[in-house]
Amino acid sequence: MRPAPRLDLLFGPALMRRVSTARVLMVGAGGIGCELLKNLVMSGFTRIDVIDLDTIDLSNLNRQFLFQKRHIKQSKAHVARDSALRFHPAAEIQSHHANIKDERFDVDWFRGFDLVTNALDNLGKIDRLTDVCSVDARRHVNRMCLAANVPLIESGTAGYLGQATVIQQGSTECFECQPKPTPKTFPICTIRSTPTAPIHCIVWAKSYLFTQLFDRPEDDEAAAISSEKSDTAELESLRRETEALARIREAAGSASYPRDVFTKVFRDDIVRLASVEEMWQSRAAPVALDFNTLQQGAEVAEAVAAATNAPRLEQRVWSTAECFRTFVSRQVRCFRIASRLGERISTLRKEDADASIAFDKDDADALDFVTAASNLRAQIFGIEQKSRFDVKAMAGSIIPAIATTNAIIAGVIVMQAMRVLERRLDECKTIYLAHGGRRDRLFYSEQLSAPNPTCYVCRNVYVTLPADTRRATLRDLVHHILAPSINEGGLGLGTDVSLMESGRMLYDADWDDNLDRTLESLGLTNGKMLTVAPEDDAILGAGRAVIVIIAQR
Amino acid sequence: MWGFYARPCKNEDGTMDLMNWECGIPGREGTPWEGGVYRLTLAFPEEYPSKPPKCKFTPPLFHPNVYPSGTVCLSIINEEQDWKPAITMKQASILLGIQDLLNDPNPHSPAQSEAYTLFRKDMDEYERRVRIQARENIPR
Repeated sequence: MRPAPRLDLLFGPALMRRVSTARVLMVGAGGIGCELLKNLVMSGFTRIDVIDLDTIDLSNLNRQFLFQKRHIKQSKAHVARDSALRFHPAAEIQSHHANIKDERFDVDWFRGFDLVTNALDNLGKIDRLTDVCSVDARRHVNRMCLAANVPLIESGTAGYLGQATVIQQGSTECFECQPKPTPKTFPICTIRSTPTAPIHCIVWAKSYLFTQLFDRPEDDEAAAISSEKSDTAELESLRRETEALARIREAAGSASYPRDVFTKVFRDDIVRLASVEEMWQSRAAPVALDFNTLQQGAEVAEAVAAATNAPRLEQRVWSTAECFRTFVSRQVRCFRIASRLGERISTLRKEDADASIAFDKDDADALDFVTAASNLRAQIFGIEQKSRFDVKAMAGSIIPAIATTNAIIAGVIVMQAMRVLERRLDECKTIYLAHGGRRDRLFYSEQLSAPNPTCYVCRNVYVTLPADTRRATLRDLVHHILAPSINEGGLGLGTDVSLMESGRMLYDADWDDNLDRTLESLGLTNGKMLTVAPEDDAILGAGRAVIVIIAQR
Repeated sequence: MWGFYARPCKNEDGTMDLMNWECGIPGREGTPWEGGVYRLTLAFPEEYPSKPPKCKFTPPLFHPNVYPSGTVCLSIINEEQDWKPAITMKQASILLGIQDLLNDPNPHSPAQSEAYTLFRKDMDEYERRVRIQARENIPR
């Protein structure tokens, strides 16, 4: 298979020449990426860099067609390259099995491309292995492209929806000009005390109970206690609570463990909560569950199930007896055996006292646990119960990935790329794929907007600073680069500035402790972006800053 | 604004951590909370200001709307309720809101049983405990 031979009739020989020499960076080799790499190669692009930090998983194979079963666990970037080379052996494809945020992919590296395309996951999807949100990667690529002044085609899909747009520094909105919807979280009160919907119970089971028992609790109560504080009555009661919880945590694997956990969270905690009468004046009070009653019920149900061979279906809502049985033990026939997770964590802790198990929707034990615990809680609060299948989707925040949507968007990206390479930015639009809208059409387009003048990312000025970070000090930077006027070869920002880098403040006019430290000792190494904000709005305009990109020399 | 303070925590590398702040909230005059300055940490998430900072009393406070971990349950810092990106540190509205909450607890969202139960059932004992706590939190 070769690129269609007469593409020049469609695009003209001048554009095809440009296409065949342009260097393109493709960030992401997953759902959109596989489609896009195929499209690029078949449209005559020959100089392509592909980067993806992920490896191939069985669940990718239904839509990421450059991968096959034998490639599972291999690098997406490398396999995508090899597969694409088979239909265009002359293409020069470089693959990088790496994180785009790695410092070797610095601004200079980005400058080497004529075009960058983002082919990343759904917004808000958290990568299980790296804990990195794709928004993070998008933000980073956006900033690098702004700094390198390279056009970026940004895209995304979610179910049947998709979009692709063009970002060009100084001409269009950047990725951060408009606020992004953030993944929804729930107030602690709703989760811990007053759930009203199935998702509240699922979040409780996954983020509170599972985490407290098997993972590292985020709200580290023990740490709060060890801080240098005087002994108060509150601290005493807090410590008791922590100890009660720790005892149960530690007892994982023991015979009484499932029963202890059950009694604490489905009876004692509920009885205490229900005793707060004022909370239940306008809603039904929770009803605690009793271990013995449920155990008898579960034995009967089990006998019935064994007799009728009733299948336990993914998509059917479990009965309370099934939830109970699953929670207490996955070993159907023997209640005395502690739950599988309890055994797993106690085995792990023998090796490493701090061992933990993080929730993973693809871990059958973890999903069983969360399904059972959330449905037991739902029953306590009179909330609708959910099937294991539904719990998996809700707990894993799964947005279905549709191969067709990815394919259509990947096609749109190539059309955008052609316009960008022809320097017809004025003809580029944001293209939306929105099936089922008010009008009977698939695509909507919107003019590209001008940059948002108050955007805290693209209104800034980007400057690259070559420096020997092992020798240069913060004082050198402030007094010899930032402060001197432009005529004197400086940036004319004065010394009354604040210096910040990824949530840290390194210097301001009233706090100069770090002035004599080297850039390296302050973590200002190759590729780091240092925000310089003058106190005086008149210098750059209100809220604007200079972003100094460090380039190690 | 007398008695409030807010400063970024220091990182181990000698820089300031702008995502984590240490604050002090004074109890209002004329209330049992008077005299105490209560130490609070604010942890700003990556998504700030789309999402509110997490506010936590250290050590945990005896108060009906403070969880045993110290986390404050208050609608203006609750993403699902009244949080708005315009509620900023600059206007100190978070700290003022929490100061208001000290002597004006919300009985509809109890967060710890001890303070909540006393608040509902034994106001004298509740106020006595609050006064003891205020004395323990007099700034040195």
